[in-house]
Amino acid sequence: MESMNHGLGVDIAFLLLATLAVVTGWRVFRTDSMVRASFFLLVSFIAVGVIMILLAAEYLGVAMFFMMAVEMTVMALFMVMFMMNPAGLNPMNMVHQERIAIGAGVAGFLVLGAMALLATFPDQPVPAGLEPVRSLGNEMLGDSMLIFESAGLVLLTTMIGVVVLSSHRGRYGAAAEGSMPPGLEPGGDPAGKPEEDEAGEGEHHHHHHHH
Amino acid sequence: MFSELFLPVLMVIFMLVVGGYAVAVLDRLVASALGTPQAGGIWLAPMARGAWLLTQHANATEAPDWRAWRLAPALYLALAAGGLAVVPWSASLVATDLVTSVVLWGSVEALATVVIFLHGWSANSLLALIGGYRYVALGLSYILISMFVLIGVALPAESLQFTQVVASQEGLWNVIRQPLGLPLFLIVGLGMTFWGPLNLADSTDLAGGTAAEISGPPRLVWDMARAAMLVAFSGVAATAFLGGWLGPWLPGLLWMSLKMLAVLSVLLLLGRLLPRLAPERCVTLMWVVLLPLSFIDLVWAGIGALL
Repeated sequence: MESMNHGLGVDIAFLLLATLAVVTGWRVFRTDSMVRASFFLLVSFIAVGVIMILLAAEYLGVAMFFMMAVEMTVMALFMVMFMMNPAGLNPMNMVHQERIAIGAGVAGFLVLGAMALLATFPDQPVPAGLEPVRSLGNEMLGDSMLIFESAGLVLLTTMIGVVVLSSHRGRYGAAAEGSMPPGLEPGGDPAGKPEEDEAGEGEHHHHHHHH
Repeated sequence: MFSELFLPVLMVIFMLVVGGYAVAVLDRLVASALGTPQAGGIWLAPMARGAWLLTQHANATEAPDWRAWRLAPALYLALAAGGLAVVPWSASLVATDLVTSVVLWGSVEALATVVIFLHGWSANSLLALIGGYRYVALGLSYILISMFVLIGVALPAESLQFTQVVASQEGLWNVIRQPLGLPLFLIVGLGMTFWGPLNLADSTDLAGGTAAEISGPPRLVWDMARAAMLVAFSGVAATAFLGGWLGPWLPGLLWMSLKMLAVLSVLLLLGRLLPRLAPERCVTLMWVVLLPLSFIDLVWAGIGALL
């Protein structure tokens, strides 16, 4: 065994964080609300981020915090918006396709466990003068500068595009005026359209219904 | 062990307490200077209110998410502590001199969104929930502006470390080198702590918003956390734009404290002077005006770094 070059505190921190990551990861599937599930997942990711900092991957660890924070917030809100669970407080089941999930979980555990036990990991102590942030920057922005920068621009454009498209006052006027929901039958009246009171319009409707 | 672990923790706790109190006193001073009558003395009234809140019963709503509801104020305070931990007081006096401290501050801003939403959501009450949703819509816009402005100060420093950011301002402070940076960042600060004109998450039109239902000790923690976050924010602003501990004659620690107090006073003054915006107008302003301005700030910083 290689002699330890870190203190007992690091070991204790690792054990606590690993336990936190696993327990909150498990709670994601045992809770009954999508908001709670998203934020349990966030806690799990943050614990993993701190473990990455312990492993001297400082930038990746800290980046995990803010990326996952925004990601999980947006995910929680979108799930609440689109999955008919107002405010995410109605109890619901977080587990789907249980048998496949159990199979995949067991298989994943066995593969990862076997890797951890059987693989021979490189045994190279980190050089004393290593600057993790700078070397990561060189890794990403050296030869891969074009890919990295284009991906960044595409993401930014997508974000602005989504905001423009989803904003109430879009380029084609106010969203509530410019668009109507599709009809319940092809070519039919928009669904949920309020009944019109004008006599002429009423006649028009009757005409449609007779044919 | 003492200087590595206990000293930084003591430093941060000291700043949480003293900073929160300083915000309360300064806000009262600003208010009386502007002619708003204040009940009670300037120095004692914040403590009296704190003691009163501490002895009150914490009200309950119907079926809240208890854990999240009780944790959210404490978590917001913890985030403020995290922010204070990376603020350098002098070249050597800094609780955590992380090489990614700029990114860590960005994470504090992002995680604040989570905590504020959770605070509004977990009370299981309508107006609190609307406050939470409102903050998410606004908070995402503040975070983007803040990120671009902070990348702007990291560029001349060629580092993501706040101590390096300060060192890079030896010749010229960022407030002059990047004139758009500080004004944009101050708006982010008001937004993130939902203070003054940008207090839309906890605003009176929502009967207190995310804090509509909390009372007693949790309310005290929430109010303290907001004040502490404002202090942490002032520290980051002074570090990123006003040259941190740099300055002639006086010791660095004193310069830093003066600059922080100056930023804090400007924020509290803005909070009292500026009118409130409607939330949807605020989002439009963020995305249509301020975000493009932060792009210009970043391009400016980039050109400055190349030249």
